[in-house]
Amino acid sequence: MPTIDVEYQELEQLIGKNTCRELFGNPENLRVEALDDKLSLVKAEVKEYNQADMTLSIEMKDTGRADLWSAEGLARGLCCYLGLERGFRQYGADGAVVDVHVDSKLWGIRPFISCSVLKDIHLSDPIIRGLMHLQDKLDKTYGRDRQKTSIGIYNFDLIKPPIEYTAVKPTDVRFVPLGFDEQLNLDEILEKHPKGVEYGHIVKKHAYYPMLFDSEGKVLSFPPIINSNDLGKVTEESRNLLVEVTGTQEQTVQNTLNLVTAALIDRGGKACSATIHYPNTSEYKQKIVTTPNFNHHIVHLRVDYTNRLLGLKLSAKDIAELLLTAGLGVEKIGGNSVDVRVPFYRVDIMHEVDVVEDVAVAYGYNNIEPIWRDLPTTGSERPLQRTINVARELMVGAGYQEVLNYTLTNPESLFTKMNQKPTATVEISNPKVVTMTCLRSWLLPSLMEFLSVNQSVEFPQRIFELGKVTLQDETRDTKTRDEDWLAAATSHANAGFSEIKSCLDAFFGNLGVDWQIKPASHPSFIEGRVGAVWVNAVEAGVVGEVNPLVLEAWKLENPTAAFELNLQRILELKKAR
Amino acid sequence: MVELRENEIRILAALDKLDGKAAVEQLMAECELSDAAVMRSALILQENNFAKVHAKLQTKIKLTPEGEIHAQNGLPERRLLNSVLALGGKAALQQAAQEAELEKQFVQIALGWTQRKKWAIFDSKKGTLQVTEAPKEDNDEKILGILCATEETIIDQFTAEQQVAVEILKKRKAITVEEKTQRILELTQDGKQAIEAGAANLTIGPREVTQLTPELIIKGEWRNIRLQRYNIQAPVANIWPGKKHPYLAFLDEVRAKLVTLGFKEMTGTAVETAFFNFDALYTPQDHPARETDGIYYIKNPAHGDTTAYAQAVKHVKEVHENGDQTGSTGWKYDYSEQEAKRLILRGHGTCLSARTLLSPNLQVPGKYFSIARVYRPEVVDKTHLSEFNQVEGIVLDENLNLRDLLGVLGRFAKEIAGADKIRFKPDYFPFTEPSVELSAYKEGYGWVEFGGSGIFRPEVTTPLGVKVPVIAWGLGVDRLFMMRAGVSDIRSIFSQELSWLRKKEVA
Repeated sequence: MPTIDVEYQELEQLIGKNTCRELFGNPENLRVEALDDKLSLVKAEVKEYNQADMTLSIEMKDTGRADLWSAEGLARGLCCYLGLERGFRQYGADGAVVDVHVDSKLWGIRPFISCSVLKDIHLSDPIIRGLMHLQDKLDKTYGRDRQKTSIGIYNFDLIKPPIEYTAVKPTDVRFVPLGFDEQLNLDEILEKHPKGVEYGHIVKKHAYYPMLFDSEGKVLSFPPIINSNDLGKVTEESRNLLVEVTGTQEQTVQNTLNLVTAALIDRGGKACSATIHYPNTSEYKQKIVTTPNFNHHIVHLRVDYTNRLLGLKLSAKDIAELLLTAGLGVEKIGGNSVDVRVPFYRVDIMHEVDVVEDVAVAYGYNNIEPIWRDLPTTGSERPLQRTINVARELMVGAGYQEVLNYTLTNPESLFTKMNQKPTATVEISNPKVVTMTCLRSWLLPSLMEFLSVNQSVEFPQRIFELGKVTLQDETRDTKTRDEDWLAAATSHANAGFSEIKSCLDAFFGNLGVDWQIKPASHPSFIEGRVGAVWVNAVEAGVVGEVNPLVLEAWKLENPTAAFELNLQRILELKKAR
Repeated sequence: MVELRENEIRILAALDKLDGKAAVEQLMAECELSDAAVMRSALILQENNFAKVHAKLQTKIKLTPEGEIHAQNGLPERRLLNSVLALGGKAALQQAAQEAELEKQFVQIALGWTQRKKWAIFDSKKGTLQVTEAPKEDNDEKILGILCATEETIIDQFTAEQQVAVEILKKRKAITVEEKTQRILELTQDGKQAIEAGAANLTIGPREVTQLTPELIIKGEWRNIRLQRYNIQAPVANIWPGKKHPYLAFLDEVRAKLVTLGFKEMTGTAVETAFFNFDALYTPQDHPARETDGIYYIKNPAHGDTTAYAQAVKHVKEVHENGDQTGSTGWKYDYSEQEAKRLILRGHGTCLSARTLLSPNLQVPGKYFSIARVYRPEVVDKTHLSEFNQVEGIVLDENLNLRDLLGVLGRFAKEIAGADKIRFKPDYFPFTEPSVELSAYKEGYGWVEFGGSGIFRPEVTTPLGVKVPVIAWGLGVDRLFMMRAGVSDIRSIFSQELSWLRKKEVA
């Protein structure tokens, strides 16, 4: 979920200073809890308030509500719930002042573009910072790290329309990318510019790269990588801005442009449209689109559906009132329905149910009376749980401390340090740290690790773990299976085979399992002091004195004896008998 | 008449033999008694005014293992010096050390001390040592000599120079110094008279025995002995009983609560298909949570087999692409069935609920829960774990609504967290709408986020063939445990600190 940074005074300015001071106090002495209370209505939460520079770090739980990821959007979202506005604000754009021509080569590369122009805007430093922050958040989350959409903002006064959105060979164009002072071709940009390195993978698979030029052939940008240093720089002096969004999905591209344009309108800019001319191909069909598009759409909300879902008895009129509180609009109130106007910026709403939630939030979750129905169900734990608990209690009774370890581990721990040849494990392709690269295939290494970090603690040490191991299994849909295994270890100056075998005898005896020990060989244990555990003619474990090679590898200083059982198999065998 | 036991009488006799005054050590040797036995008797004799116990603080020195080497072979600087002298009064350090058979670790030490004691001059360029004088045995060497013969010695009578030598040897870790109280028994007048008067005046009390043995019980001999009194306040050895792990014991409690509330436990595997972890829960295939920093992908085997639920995959595909029959717009993209097969480590327990909804054994009404180990590619720190446990579940029935959901959460807060007050906030999950966050208030702890929940979206239930509303819930049990255990570091849950586990109270 995205976390956005908002300068609190910007929020004050957008909502109204007096209202904010009254509700939340002075910025020097902000009542964060009071603010949090209101933010929760739009599923946001203050993570941190930096008193020094009066900046809020706000976590946005709803990954779909991209309209809230700026001071402007957040203020817009909050104004309704603060009772300052009802319904939603109207946004408009004047006629087209720019034509954009799209090259047919872009189909399959980055086919869509939306554009708008903002006039007479006065940008302060905080506004520019906020705008860059919004651009970054939209690119990252809503634009899927620029794969799906990316935004470019330019000083419109330096651009001569119409604009050409085209695709070029990487070596055919050279320009100075933002923040550089030398011309580079597109391949060089991908190699040398930090943004090229970061996002180059998006275009590299194509033979042609997207480019934006004006009518004089000046480069606007190389989307989705980088703007040109000449046109793509916005400062406090810029009065007129061009905003463009390119991407792979038309609706997302349009939504993104609408969101950025609306934020700039909130800052006093006057929006003008752009006309996008798509080429005459079978895919594009010579479509002509005007952007931005601030039209709302209608969701038909059924009253009985709403009440059924919320457990309330609201009338259509009640619902209409709540919708206005939630910042939605009402087109028509019917007998058993309300036609809801959903503003263009509510890009999260894809089903009637999303509107129902807004009704509930406006009604107030804490005003809804909880009920508990006694449903005729019978509770039960998983089938093996009872016997597993018995097994744990037996081990506890034998004086063993239960331990809990991670199931993520690494081949060195599982095999090398256990004096074994590595075998196949369930391995992760994107491990975060080298010590956690696969799932454990047996438990004893976890116990050895546990003992190794407790060498300074009083002996004797007797520990056990009853936990999961994960094994490859071709027959399952997940190609793996988990099993509950049990391992125990005793470590002290006099630990030995007879002690651990006594424990195992007692364990099986009390569990009512007949077992046999057969001579075996196991590299982790001392030759001649290790046995295989057999139950019902099935081998299901090992018991013995740990090989000093293994003790040394784990830096254990005391003799250690241990057993490991496939407990799940043993319990199943017992049941089958 | 005074009643004394055998031990006291033996000690009186020994004292008499030793001219009426003796140290405890002497009496131990003389009477063949333990230190504790002599002391016990000494106290009884003192109580009866037969003897007086004098205490005297003594300082003792003893050789360390290193000191023993020096005591046997001579100090390294002496050995080196002798070797140089044998080589004509001037020699290369290496050669002299070799001749002296100096242990490697002592060479530099020896050199240093020949310089400090001004016995020789070292030419660091040439590496040669020139003897300036052939000193006689020094105090430090004399002390080592004494210790070599006696093992330990009392130094209270040492001269000031000898004390300095002791200090140096101590710094050189050749000896250890300890203070010890010496106790001396002296016969009083009464004691002397009692001895003179002979045994007639003393009765021997029953023999004192420390350990009651089976033999003493069986033969009835215990009647003729006195069992020694113990200092019951003396500290005793530690016992560390076997215990369940505190976090797992807590999960047992949660499990038991859920079972009594009518919930059935669901199980599954750590490795899951992307289909159940994401797709079936209406999380689009390009969702940021599916990036490599949001979920662990399995390298080998990389893909699972979804043929057993191919029909569900087809419906989920439709819902993602266009909303299918649900009235939703869908996510509007091309859904990949190959992507659905990718194997991952489950990132939440909700995948188990999705599997249950698809199961032919699904019961309506039904209540299900799971306690599942889940995995996230996080760097482990105070607030993040790479793997942890989630307690999650579902409730399904005709006509369930948001009020039921709040009721279920309220019940959990009361029964499991023991909350005094609860509060609800809007929440977000891609798979539920409406979504609710539960905060629980407990006196002494304050407000804690305790759960997230919601009603499954139609885009989740419809493709899985479920026609009734499904309440999905998850509980923040880790936080609850940490609160109860009084720990603030989430890593404590998987703590490998044995001493913490041993000392953690069970209640």
